[in-house]
Amino acid sequence: MAGAGGPRTAALNEAAADMGLVAGESLSDARAKTDMLQVRDVDTTADDTALRRLALWATRYTPTASPWGEDDGADGFFLDIEGSAHLFGGEESLIADLAARLQHFGLPARLAVADTPGAAWALSRFHRAPLFVLPAGRQAAALADMPIEALRLSGETRTALRRLGFKTVGALIDKPRAPFAARFAAELLRRLDQALGRVDEPLVPVVAPPVYHSLQYLLDPVVTQEAVVARARRLMQNLVHVLVRDDVGARALRLCLYRVDGAVETIAIGLTAPTRSAAHVARLLDLKLAALAALDDAGFGFEAIGLAVTRAEPMPARQIEFGTADPAFGSEDSSRAERCAALIDALRQRLGPHRVRRFAPVASHLPERAEALPPVDGEACSPSCSASWPAPEQAHPLLLLPHAEPADDVTALVPDGPPRRFCWRGSTYDIAAAQGPQRIGAEWWRNHKPHCEVAPTRDYYLVEDLGGRRFWLYREGLYGRETAAARWFVHGLFA
Amino acid sequence: MADFTSLSIARRRDAVMQELRRLLPRHEGLRQALPFGTAALDSHLPEGGLACGALHEVVPQTEGAIASAFGFIAAILSRLSQAYPLIFVRPVYGLRQYGRLSGHGLNGLGLDPRRLILVETSHRKETLWAVAEALRSGVPSAVVGLIDKLDLKTSQKLHLAAGDCGLPLFLLRPAPTLEASAAATRWRVGPAPAARDRFGLYARPRWHLQLERCRNGRPGEWVMEYDHVAHRFSLAAALADPAFSRRAGDHSFRQACRS
Repeated sequence: MAGAGGPRTAALNEAAADMGLVAGESLSDARAKTDMLQVRDVDTTADDTALRRLALWATRYTPTASPWGEDDGADGFFLDIEGSAHLFGGEESLIADLAARLQHFGLPARLAVADTPGAAWALSRFHRAPLFVLPAGRQAAALADMPIEALRLSGETRTALRRLGFKTVGALIDKPRAPFAARFAAELLRRLDQALGRVDEPLVPVVAPPVYHSLQYLLDPVVTQEAVVARARRLMQNLVHVLVRDDVGARALRLCLYRVDGAVETIAIGLTAPTRSAAHVARLLDLKLAALAALDDAGFGFEAIGLAVTRAEPMPARQIEFGTADPAFGSEDSSRAERCAALIDALRQRLGPHRVRRFAPVASHLPERAEALPPVDGEACSPSCSASWPAPEQAHPLLLLPHAEPADDVTALVPDGPPRRFCWRGSTYDIAAAQGPQRIGAEWWRNHKPHCEVAPTRDYYLVEDLGGRRFWLYREGLYGRETAAARWFVHGLFA
Repeated sequence: MADFTSLSIARRRDAVMQELRRLLPRHEGLRQALPFGTAALDSHLPEGGLACGALHEVVPQTEGAIASAFGFIAAILSRLSQAYPLIFVRPVYGLRQYGRLSGHGLNGLGLDPRRLILVETSHRKETLWAVAEALRSGVPSAVVGLIDKLDLKTSQKLHLAAGDCGLPLFLLRPAPTLEASAAATRWRVGPAPAARDRFGLYARPRWHLQLERCRNGRPGEWVMEYDHVAHRFSLAAALADPAFSRRAGDHSFRQACRS
């Protein structure tokens, strides 16, 4: 770590700490203390990535895991275990389990549980025991005899406080606030209030917290895709009750696979229409896993599998009819719409979400701009409800070339008349009939630069050669006004 | 037994077909047909039209005739039920040279572009998977695929998949040489001079259709025109170029002699 007066040490391993080195001292001091020092440069991006990965792994305990930022020291993460501690038999056994697993990865950890993130942060750094659970409502007492570094303050505030003789947090608690507010940045009182629970501290989760969540720990790690899909199917079945209760269906899901060695695979799937069908979700996951080949390096297998609904949308319950389906109620149509949504989901999972498209008209006269191909959304199966396609004004080619291609050796009787013969892609076509021109001007209102040339006007002709092939040709530029020698282009092919 | 004339064979075939139809009512139910709506073609095809639940191949006559082949498929699709979507599967590299399908152009042929769901694939395996998936779901009115290479076994699989769900499957094959396939029909489509109104303006597209192979039927050759307003196929009436009409007539005459 570079700093004033040469490089400084940023972090130490246990052996170095035993030799009496201190993090933050200058490298020359450290070298003076021992001659066996091995030094590596700090790589903050790699540290960040590793911390995020670890926080992602920790979502196996609770959905809200928030890695620490720069002002928290960037060497740990918060877990919001409210409501999930009982699944592990209480807070003590949860952190014991977490510590054991981290130790297993080779990461000695200090853990603390408290009512506020600030207090937990302070306890994990400055409490004697590596694992500690603070009883509810005891923050003030626990923090009282801690040094002021426990408040996550910036360097200047810390030095100013020390200079004024404030050594412990207890000296700050229950003092009149006005002098502190006048003398220090707002940070001091905010941090104090956050630690004591007077002000909320929002956590930034590593992944968006799900709406509904279901997680299963496995006794034996699973490796194969079939096993993973079967487990995911059971998890979805667990979620169905909650979804039915709230009258919603899942629009987006996330499958988290927790590997034994601490890595996490996340697979996100989006659906065209809200669903509650476990079979459908399982099939989509199967397709997605096959496409991603995510399980190729399962390592020693997955020890926990979580399925989260990240977006839910209202899905009212439907009456299921007895006996034959009555077409008057549209049950055939609705089941077909459901199957259509399922088909589009399947295609999108296997091929990618932008591979399933449909035509949408765009209000423009330029042929290359006149339509778009947006990905299919929820209303794919009922074309009648969306806006109608504009009625055709002029003949339009069935195939539009990606770029208008120049036609060579174009012969015309008069410079601004229809063509009689042209050469395109190496062959010559004699024109039997030409129809036009259809004049399309450039869209000057799209031209943002005022002094820039506007693109020339195009005169389109529908031409048919002796063999019956039909082309869409245009001449660029109005003869005499915009250009002296007009150029010809082939832009499309008619059926 | 003495006279094995073609007439008696044809009669015997009719009797066998009738017997089969009596024995296989389920089979009969699936075998609906999409009529072209013109007697010249429908009477030529064994089912009275294009069979539903079967594979049909459409091949452009020359490389540049791919637009005509597309137009022919779009014309057939526009005659199908309006209520359900149509699935069109094509590899991203498939049409690169000839640009992209235009929604306004489809609309001009009488096919509402909003019914069409375009599926882009990155290789042939994905294309085949997407086609089979669309058929299996039974949702669309028809499935169209763009496939350059197709072996006999795969085509048999696709034909059976189409038969299971009773949907017509059209495969556009922009390939110069074609392998044997299990398709029910194979059409070779080329352009023909368009029908024009009395002012000499382009009115209706015309195509030169060759029915190259047809299961349980004979090959044939026609010049058809398509009316996009009435969604109707008809035989090209008075052909503008007498030379062309004579040529087309020659072909069909020769074919009639051969069969």
